[in-house]
Amino acid sequence: MDQFRRIQTGKTGNVHMVLFKDKKILDDTVLDEIRAELAQLIGKASGPDVLLDFSNVEFMSSAMLGLLGQLHRKISTGHGRLRMCGIRPEIFQVFKLTNLDKLFSIHKDAPAALATFT
Amino acid sequence: MDVLIAEDSRMQAKFLERKLTEAGHAVRWAENGSDALGLARQRRPDIIISDIEMPVMTGYEFCKAVKTDPTLRGIPFILLSTLADPIDIIRGLDAGADNYVTKPYEPTFLLSRMNDLLATPLGVDDASSAATLEVSLAGQQFRVQAGRQQVLNLLVSTFENAVAKNQELVVANQQLAAARDGLQKSNTELTTLNTEISRINAQMVRDLEAAAKVQRSLLPAADVAIPAADVAWKYVPCQSLAGDFLNIFPLDDQHVGLFVVDVSGHGVPSSLMAVTVGRFLTPKVSDSSLLVRQAADGGILVVPPAEVATQLNRLFQADEFSGLYFTLLYGVLHVPTGRLDYVSGGHPALLRVPAAGGPPEFHPAEGFPIAFVPEVEYGQQSLQLAAGDRIYLYSDGVPEAMDAAQEPYGEEALVACVAGSRSDSLASSVEKLLAAVEAWCQPKGPLDDVSILGLEWRP
Repeated sequence: MDQFRRIQTGKTGNVHMVLFKDKKILDDTVLDEIRAELAQLIGKASGPDVLLDFSNVEFMSSAMLGLLGQLHRKISTGHGRLRMCGIRPEIFQVFKLTNLDKLFSIHKDAPAALATFT
Repeated sequence: MDVLIAEDSRMQAKFLERKLTEAGHAVRWAENGSDALGLARQRRPDIIISDIEMPVMTGYEFCKAVKTDPTLRGIPFILLSTLADPIDIIRGLDAGADNYVTKPYEPTFLLSRMNDLLATPLGVDDASSAATLEVSLAGQQFRVQAGRQQVLNLLVSTFENAVAKNQELVVANQQLAAARDGLQKSNTELTTLNTEISRINAQMVRDLEAAAKVQRSLLPAADVAIPAADVAWKYVPCQSLAGDFLNIFPLDDQHVGLFVVDVSGHGVPSSLMAVTVGRFLTPKVSDSSLLVRQAADGGILVVPPAEVATQLNRLFQADEFSGLYFTLLYGVLHVPTGRLDYVSGGHPALLRVPAAGGPPEFHPAEGFPIAFVPEVEYGQQSLQLAAGDRIYLYSDGVPEAMDAAQEPYGEEALVACVAGSRSDSLASSVEKLLAAVEAWCQPKGPLDDVSILGLEWRP
């Protein structure tokens, strides 16, 4: 049973797979819910490996980047690894404009991203 | 007491039967007048209570049949009527009914009526004493056969019914009055609440206006004099409070500082962060200024842009809980030589329009948004301007402005726009760029703050 409203979760080996359900991640309410659900998912895990799949996301506000930054910091502090995939060109542009394409480990799709965890 | 009920509604009959049984009576029930008449003939009841509207044989017909039967006529007969029409009384009278009880009734009322009737033995009028009476009611003439005692009883019961109904009416009126009072009270409370909401709302509007005013103080002063340069800027917040701000000012007699800052998000949290960031980006030598410091010789030391970004990033790491961050493009122009040193913290690339002709050029710079990654050193870029070169700094609200089909305005359109206006004045070219972005976003207008800062070096 899926316990989350904004994210669909699964596990491949030790990697937490997170698929965003929303097409648009724009408003603060959606953002706050995603933040809370991610915290619930990986809050207690130590050094988690996490893969975020953006395949469904068509629009994303720059505030979402802030959330990803927090997540990145939290995961790196715990010596976990964060990967992202399924980012379409319009969304990638948001990462590129802010140079964050160089901070985050971004991959074409889930298999490609999963291969980098080994 | 042996009671016979004629009632076609099973539910009402059962209800009445229970009440009567509780009061100690024996009860028989038939669901129409015809069956009830059969039961009455089988065994003579002490009293009959009958509904009017029933299939097969109505209450009136049943009543008439009882009252014309020599062995049954002495049995008191109560009609249960809705009394919707005054003519019902005449019909009841004509049928020979002794009493009326109007529906809906209180069981106790019916029981007391039964007891009254049984306590007053009916003067059994024989057919000869039953006079033919002429009655005029509601413009109609009726001829009814009725004995005096029957008329009297029916009259009294009708009057009693009227009194009971009147009492109910009085109670209903009192309840209505109480409800009206309650409503009036709620209304008054609502008015008070509305006034309170208006007051709070007015207070919030005042607060927002005050905050917006503080935020506008982060923008270039109206009379700012920049040596050897033309300057033009546009700033359009998408809400009353913005996450964007920009400024340009002399740092000392040889240097001009200029920047555009874009705090993520909108509204109060973003604008509070913008105001806080603004306090550090001041050209006045002070404890808080990151841009200038007092030099050992008493003069002013201009801090290199990369160091400014590194310091800002260090200062704002505390914001990890809010998830707020900002992008920044900060440049320092050395006025005598036209050398621009600048740093980017995840900000859209600087755009130069060369005076010598040729296409406008983006000058991207490496660097993550501020408050994003702890303890990073920001790198600095340099750009040598030629006389008449223009540079544009802008927020992502320009290239990322969405049209109705969610297509971004884009960098190509931006380049085409500033190239197309290169022979216009700088002020006019900035205005045209803003107009183009606003036109792109029709009909809704920009959903993000739009900031544009242009500078033309004219040594």
